[in-house]
Order: sequence, then C-alpha cells, then structure tokens
Amino acid sequence: MRPRKRVVTSPAGGTILPARKRKPGRPRSRRPSRLPPLPQGRSLVLEGSGATSPRRAEPSATELAAVDLSVDLAPGRGGFRLANPILVASGTFGYGVEYGEVVDVQRLGAVCCKGTTLKPRVGNVTPRVTETPAGMLNSIGLQNPGVDAVVERYAPTWTAWQTSVIVNVAGESIADYVEVCRRLDGVPGVAAIELNISCPNVGKGGLQFAIDAEAAGAVTAAVRRTTDLPLLVKLSPNVADVRPIARAIAAAGADALTAVNTLSGIAVASDRRRPLLGNVFGGLSGPAIKPVALRVVYEVAQVVDIPVVAIGGVTELADVLDFLAVGAVAVQVGTAIFADPTLPVRLIDELAGECLARGLSSYQPLVGTALPPRPDAPSAKGVEYRP
Amino acid sequence: MRLAAAELVDSREILPDQWLQSYYAPSLVAGARAGQFVHVRTGDYSGLVLRRPFSFNTVDSATGVFTIHFRTIGRGTEWLKRVRQGEPVDMLGPLGRPFEVDSRSRHLLLVAGGLGMAGVRMLADEAIRAGRQVVLLFGAATAGEVYPSFLLPDEVEYVVATDDGSLGHHGYVTDLAPQYEAWADQAFACGPSPMLRALAGLAAGRGQRLGVAKLGRKRGAGRSAPLGSPEARRKAFLQVSMEQNMGCAVGACLGCVVMSVAGTPQRVCREGPVFAAEEIAWESGW
Repeated sequence: MRPRKRVVTSPAGGTILPARKRKPGRPRSRRPSRLPPLPQGRSLVLEGSGATSPRRAEPSATELAAVDLSVDLAPGRGGFRLANPILVASGTFGYGVEYGEVVDVQRLGAVCCKGTTLKPRVGNVTPRVTETPAGMLNSIGLQNPGVDAVVERYAPTWTAWQTSVIVNVAGESIADYVEVCRRLDGVPGVAAIELNISCPNVGKGGLQFAIDAEAAGAVTAAVRRTTDLPLLVKLSPNVADVRPIARAIAAAGADALTAVNTLSGIAVASDRRRPLLGNVFGGLSGPAIKPVALRVVYEVAQVVDIPVVAIGGVTELADVLDFLAVGAVAVQVGTAIFADPTLPVRLIDELAGECLARGLSSYQPLVGTALPPRPDAPSAKGVEYRP
Repeated sequence: MRLAAAELVDSREILPDQWLQSYYAPSLVAGARAGQFVHVRTGDYSGLVLRRPFSFNTVDSATGVFTIHFRTIGRGTEWLKRVRQGEPVDMLGPLGRPFEVDSRSRHLLLVAGGLGMAGVRMLADEAIRAGRQVVLLFGAATAGEVYPSFLLPDEVEYVVATDDGSLGHHGYVTDLAPQYEAWADQAFACGPSPMLRALAGLAAGRGQRLGVAKLGRKRGAGRSAPLGSPEARRKAFLQVSMEQNMGCAVGACLGCVVMSVAGTPQRVCREGPVFAAEEIAWESGW
C-alpha cells in the first residue's frame, strides 16, 4: 500500500502500514496489493476474498466508534473535516429535514442540500421522475425557493446540527453563482458549497459550465474569490473527456471535486407518442450509472491533487469500497435513499466494521488501491528512489 | 412517518389484474387517516430503485391490519402480487395529508374512477363510523372492472357508471355528479386527472347554481384560512386525491408536484395527495 500524497490522512495515524515504515532494501511490487494486509498477530479475518467474513462476530458500537472515519475535504486550505465519508447527495435528501423522522441526520458525514439558485425556481413540468432499469430519470429542473428563503428557513436548523450542510449552488451565469455564494458566505449553518455546474435539466445554464474546461475554471475561480467556504465542484459525466475540466477546476482553486452528476437520458411514454418526462430530457441516476461514475472517478483521481467525492449508484458497502479503491475519499448516497432511507447511516457502521475486520484504524488505506501506479509522479517526501 | 416490516395477511385478485392485499403493521396503522398512503419497497430484484405508493384502502386500527388495492401494471406490482402470506414487506408510512371532513357535513359524496376507488374507500368507512351518509359514485370502463359491492360497507349508496353502458349509467361518472351536488355537503374524489378536472369545474360553479352560502360562519374580511391549510381544505366543497410519479414520498426530491393557483408547485407526497380543488391550477398543463 503506497500512500498517495493527495489522499487525506487522518491525524490519528490513519495508515497502518505507511510506506515510510517499509524496510528500504525490501523488494516491493510496482503495483500495490489490492487489499491492505493485516497487521501482525491479527489473523482472525480475511479468510476468503475481500468481502467481509460472515463468521465474524458483530463488532460493538464502541469498537466501531474507535475506527477513525473522519475525512478532510479541503486539506489544501483551512480544512473541512467531516466525521465520516458518507454524504447524502443533493436533490435526494431535500434540506435534510424531510427524512428527519426515519433517519438520524446527525450521524451523516454531511448533507448536500437541494440545488439552490439566486431567484426562486418552479422547476420543470411533470412528470418529473420515472424508474428505468436499475435507475431512475429525474428532471426536477432545480425547483427551489431561492437562496434567501433557503437561508431563512433552514440555516437556523442546520446551525444546531453537528452534521455539516453543504449547500448545492446552481446558476445560469457566473454572476448568478457568485451572488448566491456571496449570500451564503458567513451564514451560520452553511458549512461548504458544492457548485452544481452540471445540472442537465435546465435549458440555459448549468451544464454549459461543466462541458467546457475554460468556463468551468472561470466559474470556479470567480466563486473562489467570493467566498472562503470550502468549495466542492460537481462534475458532469456528459463530456468526452472529463480530465481537462477537472484539472481546470482544481487549478481554479476548488477544494474538492464531486463526481458525477446524472447522465442525460430520455424515456418514452407508454403510448409511444411522446417522451415520458415533461422536460423530455432527464438525468439518469442509480446503480445503472455506477460503472460510468467509477470510470470518471478513476480518471479524475489520477489527474488532480484535491480530494474526489464519488457519487453514482451507491447501494451497499461494496459500492463504497469500489469508489474508495478508485481514488475517492468520500462517497455520496443518492437515489438509493428513496428505496432505503436508512442506508447512509448503515453504511457508516458497515464501513467501520470493514475497517475493523481488516485491522485498520482508519479507512484511508482503502483509498486508491485500484489506481495504477504513477511512475511520473514525483515523490513529495523524496523517500522513493526512481532511477 | 415510520418504517415498518408489514406482514402479508391476505391477498386476493378481486378483479382481473386487480389485487386487494391485507398487511399487518400496527405501527403504520396507528394514526393513519383516509387519503394517506404507504410507500412500499419492492424486493431487491432486477434493480427496481423506487418504492411504490399505495393509498390506505381500509384500515382496522383494532387489529393493526390495513389493505391496499392495486392493478398489476409493471414489475413492481407484479412482484407485489406474488408476495406470500407471512412475508414481510418494507413500507414507509403513513405519508401525506388526509381528507379533511368538516364536522358539520352530514352528506358526503365520494367519486371514484377505476383504481381511484383505493383513494376514497377508507373515507367511506370513516364517514359511516361518524354517522354520516355516503353516496359513492364509481366509474369504470366496463362491468368487468366494477368494484364489487360486497367489499363496501352496507350503508354506502353505491352508484355505478360504465363507459360502455354494460352496468349502471352509460357514460362517465362525472355525468352523475350534478344529481348529487345539492344533496352533498362535501365531495371527495380520486381518479384519472380528466375526471378530477371535470369535477373541479362542476364544483366551482356549484355555489352559484345552488345559491348557497359558503359553509362556516361569517368572519371578518381577510380572516380566511390560508389556501392549503387543513382549515381551508375542511371548508372546501371538493377535495381531490392527486396522483403523480413519485420518488422519495417525503418531500425531498420534488418529483411529484402539481401546480397550484398561486404558481408554486405543491408536492403530492407532502402537501397532498389530497388537495382542495380550488388549490390546483387545472389548466396549467402540469
């Protein structure tokens, strides 16, 4: 396991077997092993594959709590530390209050609220959602009461939470984005901003920023100048090559990237006389897009040095581990919440249990294990010698 | 709103492709009122990612059993009809806001079109328990799809219309409504949206045709309850239970909206599914 510099390590000694503990003369394979090895003397688990062993005794709550799941999404500046890497995705959890009766919001790593614009938006005509094979299409069209109403109605509630709230910001022009972020700056309860430059459901704006590296960089830079809040930027998968866009956003000062937004798609009405959705086009989400999201995270994680938050079809722990393996430091759960509202909270415990089973005190060693080695990447510490 | 594992007690095909299922789930039944619904998670097969909403068809709070009534129209309902006795089904409920019956209403007119029966069926029980008189107008395409009368309380006056005239009135159920508009104190409807729109049109002109004053004592001007509040709905002559493609069913995803006259989309799952007819912008094309 080779720790990657851009990967956030916890202060509590996240990695069990960091590279600097490796003996200098010991031969090592170029490719890191898929799974972090168990420390000496811990041989009780991992009898089979990487999956958790069914024979393992259920760890107690205190054991689970001992695992350090914390993650910093803005390691470059100031820091934006979350208690755990399981977030709920924008648009699937409202403003965090809707599911309050069945979900313990306080346990989540963070809540990404519904896309917020400068002015109120009524959204698209109905039907707005439909189920598709292993997924769903939505074309809500950024219905929201506007940034001022959001701040007034929900920020007082958010202030009382220990869970961070990341406000998802959308707009039609750079000026829109800047103004919304200016109004969110300094509001108690608003922990960070996620720039939604990739909403496929609004005609004029949004997506145009996500498909052009220059525009994506420009809007990121403009917002960066406006606010000191941690800044995440959400990438669109609806592009030929996401890497230059990711690089431009990182260079413009984003603290982290979220990958990915929905894939553009359509459904046809049962009478076959028109498209099903009122807006014709919708965004595809759910397990159907997981391979695409994995690919984008895999590509992006190799070209940027800021944290990547993965999103796309997470429905179980295995999906979380997959996304961590391709370089994400955190994941957002979205569509799966609709079927299983308690999933995000359960994933936190399952991830901690997985770390315990592998003898890890942190989940960081699970990050980036499936990424190819980077022969050209210079070592920051100078401990690695490459002729 | 609670998550519960509801246990299937009974499942019957009451009409071709229409099923009536009883579930035991005391925590869902507690406090459930007519017009509310449950959001049902289908089994983890073949990648169905959304739950399915079903109105409470009947609720027996004494035994903790409720029924749902559905037509098999897709993979979700195909799965549901195959659930076996004793099997638990993951449900979220009770959700949405119920029908609001004015305490002074003695005569209730219920109008159901097809599967819309599931939306108003429970209200008939509640009304009869409260000593009200109930006329239930039911419309179906043909006699073969008419809801069996033995599944209704005896006290309900059941009037049927079929599109092809094979049973009862030959025509739409909305043709029958004007005969009862003078008799009824309040009306409650669930069914296809053209039916609801037609009823809303009838209800809007009713006061003028009958020359009746609005229910309720005269209050000072401007003191009327805000549109959409339970008080305002209680005073409305017609309440409709709306249908829309649904995502989360708790108000988070904004997928299931109808346009209100105020121009703000209303969530069917949260502000609805029951709305006063005058809240809905029927001609907005939503």
